[in-house]
Amino acid sequence: MGFLDPASTEDDLRTGTNVEIPLWLAESLYSRRPPLVSVDLPKIYKEAYREILNADACTVDLHKLGQHFYDLGCYVAKHDIKGEVGNTLVNTFKQRFRMILSASTSTDSISSLQPLSNSERIRTANAATTEKALSLWLKRGDCPLSTANMVASHRKRKRAEMEMV
Amino acid sequence: MFGEKVIELIKESERNRDTIDQYNDEKVRQIIEEMHVLFKMNMADANATTENKSLWTTVQVRHSALERNKRCLLAYLHSRMGKIKTLRWEFGSALPSDVRELLSDSEYEWFSKYSTSLAAYMRSLGREIGYSGIDLTENLRPPKSLYVEVLCLTDYGKLELEDGDVVLLKKHSRHFLPTSECQTLIRRGVLRQIT
Repeated sequence: MGFLDPASTEDDLRTGTNVEIPLWLAESLYSRRPPLVSVDLPKIYKEAYREILNADACTVDLHKLGQHFYDLGCYVAKHDIKGEVGNTLVNTFKQRFRMILSASTSTDSISSLQPLSNSERIRTANAATTEKALSLWLKRGDCPLSTANMVASHRKRKRAEMEMV
Repeated sequence: MFGEKVIELIKESERNRDTIDQYNDEKVRQIIEEMHVLFKMNMADANATTENKSLWTTVQVRHSALERNKRCLLAYLHSRMGKIKTLRWEFGSALPSDVRELLSDSEYEWFSKYSTSLAAYMRSLGREIGYSGIDLTENLRPPKSLYVEVLCLTDYGKLELEDGDVVLLKKHSRHFLPTSECQTLIRRGVLRQIT
């Protein structure tokens, strides 16, 4: 199995070597009987970062550190011996909630979306759509008919492709 | 490392959530090739394991990679399936040719079957009251006025109204038409409502 570790020169991996493998591989190797690997937490879920997040989560740029912070955290929390990761995730989200709210209503979207992780961005986008729909409804009272969503984006993409050609 | 090509496939489908891309036949074939290779290596090693127990871990690793590839492929196909469903609701049962090219042959077959089932269902609605069926893919909001003013966005050609009048829809031409006629065309993007 030497191909898993790009730094090793031999064909076989010896027991006790540290290798970096993707999560899906780690999970399945960990759950075989007997477990073939033991999983160590990624950097972001370790003690040092946990302290930072508990202190002030709003200043952390989650997009740079780990785009899929929350989703990965849910998977990784299983391997944590002390069980702290779950609490950290919840606390981080609670602190960043205000940031998400302000990002959904702000007009300067690029700088406010920057420090958010992937799932936060999805929620922001949904919040912005809902707000727009509400304000539209309040303004006019009647809703003019419009082209369907997918048709409009398909047209836009075709136009963009035509311009490129 | 295994499983990298599938991730590219998934990223491709995630990049455009609103539109559907060309069915990436090439990549899918490469991934299935990779799975065949892994499977063959595993068969060879599994037969050899009876003598040498240490190969067991390698078999495990390759098996996880196979399962991962399968899962990601299924996720890619599933997301495309959802988008094709939306296509039926938004474009109608006749797809324009440039959209038709984006689907693979089996996807188009699925689309026609879905279209048939949907049409059969819609026809069965309201049978007790005496309607011949309700078109659910139309605009679901109640109309505000009997006639609407519309601007034509593309060269559509002749449109025949219910009372027999024929209207020529050219680009940038304005018309004042009954709402029931225009609804489908507005949803398809051919006309645009002006208020």
